[in-house]
Amino acid sequence: MKNVISNDSHLLKEESGKLINALREKGINEDVIFEIHVGFEEALRNAMMHGNKFDISKKVTVEIEITDSFVRICVEDEGEGFDPEKIPDPTLDENLLKECGRGVYLLTHLMDSVEYKKNGRCVIMTKNFRSENKQGRG
Amino acid sequence: MNIRSENKNGISVVRVEGNVDIITSPEFKKYLDKIAVSGSKTIVVDLGKVDYMDSSGLATLVEAYKNIKRSGGAIKLLKLSSKVKGLFEITKLDKLFQIFEDEGDALKS
Repeated sequence: MKNVISNDSHLLKEESGKLINALREKGINEDVIFEIHVGFEEALRNAMMHGNKFDISKKVTVEIEITDSFVRICVEDEGEGFDPEKIPDPTLDENLLKECGRGVYLLTHLMDSVEYKKNGRCVIMTKNFRSENKQGRG
Repeated sequence: MNIRSENKNGISVVRVEGNVDIITSPEFKKYLDKIAVSGSKTIVVDLGKVDYMDSSGLATLVEAYKNIKRSGGAIKLLKLSSKVKGLFEITKLDKLFQIFEDEGDALKS
């Protein structure tokens, strides 16, 4: 499914709600849904705040593919892009007390793969479903 | 998100319920600021009924940690769900915060 949404942080919950419902319909367990939920909202928030810089005339494009074995999510903004390699590691002692910088780190660690394209304007993240990720199995 | 607090022998126990995220974090921050300004030296934040937290929720708690520490106090976290605790472990914030399972232990420490 593909959706182009306005750069409004209040739409973030609407989008993540749709994703959560689709994952529940697939029978994915709640712990895995939580990780995908956090990763997705962090990506969407980054796109709206850091990519589109709160500009309400800009859009965010969300593409989601859910199969029996994985979910792949692409979030693309209309900003200038960024270099994820330049984001300081928030887990280093000198950065622990910083209030920002954990969003990208969280999504990188919660998803199975995260790839940036178009100069960082587009993030593609994938979470694989293993048998233990399904409700009532394993 | 719902927040309420009670005073237990001079310690403010703040009980949070629901989501702590980009939408609710500003309200959570205001609440913690108000408690800190009221003169509470120790704040215990009960997150046992928090179903969801994102990086803005973590940032709010880090800011509260710094504010309270600056005034010579302490903030302790209580009853994190395994999912929320996982976020603290990934970001290594479990090294920064004192995290308790038992309220009595949090109040005594």
